[in-house]
Amino acid sequence: MGGSHIYDMIVVGGGPGGYTAALYAARAGLDTLVLEKLSAGGQMALTEAIENYPGFEDGIDGFTLAEKMQRQAERFGAGSEYAQVERMDLSASPKVLETSEGTFYARTVVLATGAGPRQLGLPGEAALTGRGVAYCAACDGMRYKDRTVVVVGGGNSAAADALLLSRIAGKVILVHRRDTLRATKVYHAPLMQAENLEFRWNSTVTELLHGDALTGVRLKDRNTGAETEVPCDGLFISIGRTPATEWAAGQLELDQNGYIRADETTKTSLPGVYAVGDVRTKPLRQVVTAVADGATAAHMAEEYLAEGV
Amino acid sequence: MAVINMNREELEQIKNGDKPVLVDFWAPWCGYCRRIGPAFEKVAEEYGDRLAAAKIDIDEEPRLAEAEQVEVIPTLILYRNGKRAGSIVNPGSKAEIEQFIQEAMGW
Repeated sequence: MGGSHIYDMIVVGGGPGGYTAALYAARAGLDTLVLEKLSAGGQMALTEAIENYPGFEDGIDGFTLAEKMQRQAERFGAGSEYAQVERMDLSASPKVLETSEGTFYARTVVLATGAGPRQLGLPGEAALTGRGVAYCAACDGMRYKDRTVVVVGGGNSAAADALLLSRIAGKVILVHRRDTLRATKVYHAPLMQAENLEFRWNSTVTELLHGDALTGVRLKDRNTGAETEVPCDGLFISIGRTPATEWAAGQLELDQNGYIRADETTKTSLPGVYAVGDVRTKPLRQVVTAVADGATAAHMAEEYLAEGV
Repeated sequence: MAVINMNREELEQIKNGDKPVLVDFWAPWCGYCRRIGPAFEKVAEEYGDRLAAAKIDIDEEPRLAEAEQVEVIPTLILYRNGKRAGSIVNPGSKAEIEQFIQEAMGW
């Protein structure tokens, strides 16, 4: 619970960037608390196998890796609270964080709120999520064994989702608004070879057809304008990510896509406030770059606190 | 109070007890279910004096899941005096679970 205690550092978000900031801060002797709304890991917690995080040569599932990072930070004295942050005053001294578990105060704040799947923005999308509409093939794919699914998107995650689903579902239809994939070459050959995979190029999803659950999608051909109804049991939306920064509007500098402007130092437009991981402007969003940000933020916060603010 | 793994018969017994029962319908293969696990445990602990908390693996109890119309997991169902007082699908935060309990119970 909150109180009048002033932490040296509060980390908002318990993903890999957040818990690494907490680990480094705690080891540097800073009084550190992580606020997490649900469970450690963020997006990583839903990743079945992380194969590119060095040191785990056989891969590791994201939930387990997240728990390890949490326990490691806690071993050195960092605290965790399951709290949803409702409002922050990041210019105040000390900084104020109002949450579902009370109000917290800190001299520095590390923002590690991450990103989530971008939505198509179609009517019914939210209500149908879990009832045919999904954003994570590794999480929900098994429910569509031998059924028909549509995948929307043309990047690496759409390609990976389509491939994974082609091994589970009866039929996979990949819908992309261009006439070629943006996905890395490594995906092309296996996609072309998958016998139950059909491509619908230059097409967009314009309507979700449903009763209680999804029954199909309406597609529009961007060249001809022709519309078709495609019956399906599942729709996997894989059109990129969007940062969780709606709370930051008016307080922090954001880029045109809503990411918090911060360079490699992780320093934001406000002193004593740092942005780490997927929520920051950066060229590559991976677990390994998020943890690097976390370490840097803790170092910068340490310097800031040493200046005696 | 800690979260108890239950089967159908055990749920029937506890449902009619003095305390309301919060049940998490889940499955081991469900990533979203794993993710709400720690927050669910914490809620069970914090509300332990006022409600009981249980988990039911829908793969072990498919008929119960069907009878309760659990189509999407994780689904949390709250029972009071043997009857269903409310349900929530895939809550996004511990705060959302608490809000659901408070609204369903009128606390």
